[in-house]
Amino acid sequence: MATPFTGPNADRTRRWLPLATLVILMVVVGVMQPTFLYPATLLQLASDTAVLFILAAGVTFVIMLGGIDLSLQSMASLASVVVALTVAQLGYGSFVLAIGIGAVAGLLSGLAHVKLKVPSFITTLAISGVLFSTALVISGERSITLGEADRNYQAWITGSFFGIPGVIIIGFVVFVLASVLQSRTPFGRYIAAIGAGEPAAYASGVRVSRYKVYAFILSSTLAALAGVVLAGRLASGSPTLAAEMLLPSIAAVVVGGTAITGGVGSIWQTLVGSLIISVVRIGMTFLGVNIFAQNIVFGTVLIVAVAITIDRSKIPIVK
Amino acid sequence: MTIAAAPYALSLVNVNKRFPGVHALKDVTIHIRPGEVVGLVGENGAGKSTVMKILSGVYQPDSGEIEIGGKAVSLASAYDANTKGIGMVFQEQSLLLNLTVGENIYLGNEAQFTRFGIVNWRDLYAAAKRQLAKVHVDIDPRSLAEDLDFATRQMVELAKALTLEDQVGGGHLVILLDEPTSVLERAEIDILFARVRALKARASFVFVSHRLDEVLELSDRIYVMKDGAVVADLPAAEANIPALHQLMVGRSLQAEYYREPLQRPYRDEVVLEAKGLSLAGGFTGVDFMLHRGEILGIAGVVGSGREELTRTLAGFAPHDGGQLIVGGREVHITDPAVAVDLGLAYVPRERRLEGLVLFLSVAANVTLADLQRLTSYGLIKVAEEKRLVKTWIERLNIKTPSVNTLCLNLSGGNQQKVVLAKWLNTKAQILILDHPTRGLDVGAKEEVYEIVRAITAEGIAIIVTSDTLEETIGLSHTVLVMRDGEVRFSTDAQPGHKPRQVDLIQHMV
Amino acid sequence: MSNATAAAVTVKPRPFAGLQRLAGWAPLAVLVLLCILIAVINPNFLSFGNVVRISQSAMVPMVLGIGATLIILMGSVDLSVEGVLTLAAVLLSMLVLNGANANELGLFAVVIVLAVGAGVGCINGMINVYLKVPSFMATLGTWFIGVGVGNALLGGMAIRINDPLIRGLAIDRFLGFPWGVWVAVLCVIIALAIQNYTRLGRHIYALGGGEELAALSGISVAKVRIAAFTLAGVFYAVGGILASAQLGLGNAQIGSGRLFTTITAVVVGGTSLSGGRGGILQTVVGVLIVVVLTNGMVLVGVEPSVQIGVQGVMIITAVALSINRKLMKIVK
Repeated sequence: MATPFTGPNADRTRRWLPLATLVILMVVVGVMQPTFLYPATLLQLASDTAVLFILAAGVTFVIMLGGIDLSLQSMASLASVVVALTVAQLGYGSFVLAIGIGAVAGLLSGLAHVKLKVPSFITTLAISGVLFSTALVISGERSITLGEADRNYQAWITGSFFGIPGVIIIGFVVFVLASVLQSRTPFGRYIAAIGAGEPAAYASGVRVSRYKVYAFILSSTLAALAGVVLAGRLASGSPTLAAEMLLPSIAAVVVGGTAITGGVGSIWQTLVGSLIISVVRIGMTFLGVNIFAQNIVFGTVLIVAVAITIDRSKIPIVK
Repeated sequence: MTIAAAPYALSLVNVNKRFPGVHALKDVTIHIRPGEVVGLVGENGAGKSTVMKILSGVYQPDSGEIEIGGKAVSLASAYDANTKGIGMVFQEQSLLLNLTVGENIYLGNEAQFTRFGIVNWRDLYAAAKRQLAKVHVDIDPRSLAEDLDFATRQMVELAKALTLEDQVGGGHLVILLDEPTSVLERAEIDILFARVRALKARASFVFVSHRLDEVLELSDRIYVMKDGAVVADLPAAEANIPALHQLMVGRSLQAEYYREPLQRPYRDEVVLEAKGLSLAGGFTGVDFMLHRGEILGIAGVVGSGREELTRTLAGFAPHDGGQLIVGGREVHITDPAVAVDLGLAYVPRERRLEGLVLFLSVAANVTLADLQRLTSYGLIKVAEEKRLVKTWIERLNIKTPSVNTLCLNLSGGNQQKVVLAKWLNTKAQILILDHPTRGLDVGAKEEVYEIVRAITAEGIAIIVTSDTLEETIGLSHTVLVMRDGEVRFSTDAQPGHKPRQVDLIQHMV
Repeated sequence: MSNATAAAVTVKPRPFAGLQRLAGWAPLAVLVLLCILIAVINPNFLSFGNVVRISQSAMVPMVLGIGATLIILMGSVDLSVEGVLTLAAVLLSMLVLNGANANELGLFAVVIVLAVGAGVGCINGMINVYLKVPSFMATLGTWFIGVGVGNALLGGMAIRINDPLIRGLAIDRFLGFPWGVWVAVLCVIIALAIQNYTRLGRHIYALGGGEELAALSGISVAKVRIAAFTLAGVFYAVGGILASAQLGLGNAQIGSGRLFTTITAVVVGGTSLSGGRGGILQTVVGVLIVVVLTNGMVLVGVEPSVQIGVQGVMIITAVALSINRKLMKIVK
């Protein structure tokens, strides 16, 4: 039986479905609340999406490998704590430190995954515990508000350039860099090849383990960047600052059409997915859905999106 | 049951089976009489395993009949075949190693021991003990399958197959033995054969093995298959190894088929040399030299060590003894990536798994092994990539709608050409062809041979292992024969000096 | 059977089989060593009062671990632990005699809660089997759905439980231990019975050992998977009931951090993530290791916030030690 998801045009359907969904959602929300489509609101939408997108962009590479990173919310939170604690002494160096910790955490996840051959959901769950624990300890289990003086260093995040908020510019830079990385470099090509056919990539001389580690480093580094940006926007750091962002980030990637069976996916799809998540969130807020209860919708959306994008011919046994 | 009423326990009648691009079985008719051991022989790709898969319900025939006791039946699944009295004993993989012997024997059939949802383990193990007694194995049915040696596991499988007797109400069983001896020692094989003979009163057997001597020893009657068809059906008493082999191979060597007139003498320059090369559990003391433009064929049966040797050269299992010299330098190929850097390219047997990323485009596959050279400032030069891939598509005559087509959608022959293009694109000087024509139809094979001739003429050296001896001899300049992990024989095979198959077979078995 | 032929086939032990058996006892050895070590540092550890305290902190992880074990034995994973637990706790607090509404369903509420747990588990199984969504994604979704429903029902509120029966699980004692502990023990016994004496138990192992072979033997893979996920859901719901009894209330944050402890316990106990090896008893040991370690750290004076990190390190170490890398070609 050829449905749009199994027939010969399945790939095309899968590719354009997310964009169509986004457009329809925007129209629906726009009809419900005409102010939604005003430029100012749209700019606000983009600002709100930026952090989510940065997280999602990083984890896109890991998901394309067929793995997952369950540590990104802990990493982002830890980064916010690090910035809040050190910005007074280190100034801009605190951002470098936070992002550097992200890279190291990703390196650890990746090494544990490829060297010890521990599945990624376990390594990243465990690393997540370590990061969360670290954040709790160094923050003294509390939220740290940035001092008035420290906020000057956050101008690149909170300020705007030619009327465009800094976060949007940061998000855009991440988009461009990640897109290039994904579509125009050997790294991106290898990630797609490993995800879709690891034995063939290995036999072709691709250094599979190395590129897997790179993907985890990238994911964790971008998570740290997201934490830095979040700390700037909220003018505080806390061990639970990004706690609610894991599911929306993974949902954004999958909703955008990146298949967890590997090979298929791209950064612009993740951008579309992130926007879908944001629009859904705004729509729900408009309907008065409790922010925590929104997880019901995201959880459902995640499962449905995976069910649609997954390529069942690649996985004879689904565990 | 009288013989006259139901002369055959199990039959295939005029069965056909097609796979994309291959006519795997052509009007195959095979009869198995009650209490008979039927041997099935043929080269790789002759259709033996397809026959076994149809008999065991894994595949369904496209046309033709399966008959049990003279009545047409259909076998929807392996389980369905089981319930109809067809059991299977495979190499060693069909026991669940984490379960006990008793649990394995009655796996999926625990219902008879279950009351109110609770399994009566004492009854089950007692019954398992009785099953084991049928094959004269005295082990505790509570021991874990993984603690048994291969021979005992085989016996447990036999005992498991015999539980089907209860299911078919004491009716006659047919047990399929698929390469059951490949992991056994001679003494263990003797025991297995003795059990099979003793069980002929309760069951018929279909026996598939690469070892013709074993087939002759155990079988009452032998079917010989070639190119998907049955070419002979003869009593074992009337058969001998050379005769069987002649039937399996069929036609005499056709020089034209392997493009022999295009075969050029190789150059003097040595590109790869093995000195006493060894791999624990694989091969020992292998010596050979490979020259520019030479095709070195390695012949040998399953377990001879030739598969391990090719895997070692390709970097999957680094050697642990002796020396390997590539381009004048001693090397240790610890990883396929190292092999690629040394200019060694591996065309794997498992084309769809290791040869290609099926879900990527033709272009991405062709450039996968040599992507770094296509970059400037870290970015892939997309236009140049496309142009390059197009020239390969033209040169190797790859039939694909576009460079962006997924490899999944190409035929087997064109997929293999993409693999070859990938390696030729790396400018590899040594190609390891691991069963390069497996699963290809005749036309595609000829195209592969043509490419092989063309690239060796340019100086590329090739090591080839093949499904058929005919292909090995036809392609090669030099043939090594391996047996039990050692090179037992080496011969020149240049045009005009091609050895006969029988000359090599005597060194193989 | 003649003795002569019987002697011909004997069991040759595989090399290292003994070593692997020994490795199977490692978690128990770790547990014993841990107990000795802590007892030496602080003799209070062995006091009856502290043993009861340990049993109290073990009861919820125990039932959760049992549920997760059934899934991990199949080679799958269940991330919905917190979701089901939260949902169960919140529903229970709203249905029994409570401080927020007029409901007073008593035992019937428990039945409803268990049924809801079974339902969510069943949905997990069906998504996994029929939509062919890998379990870690399917259950990641239901995890958040469960917590989300809990939030939608309660918002940020907490509902106090006034039902004496539920409160009694944490307060009333039998032989010095709270009834909740006995419930957990009962769960262990039931799970052991399922694991050892039913076809389902055997088929769960078979799926973990080799799904294709299990299917070839006529086992309905779909039924086994759905049944196992459903059972797991019931155990998580029991965990929810015990957790809310312990706190005396239901709220949507009650599940926070419990998935982590559960997975740690199962894995540390020695149940293999690739399936087929391990079991309920291993998980019992694993839960005790985690709980005793936490208890010991408290006794020794380590900050609770460090403990999560310690668990994280334990997970990786345990998995890395237990994985048979030769069997795993591709790890995702």
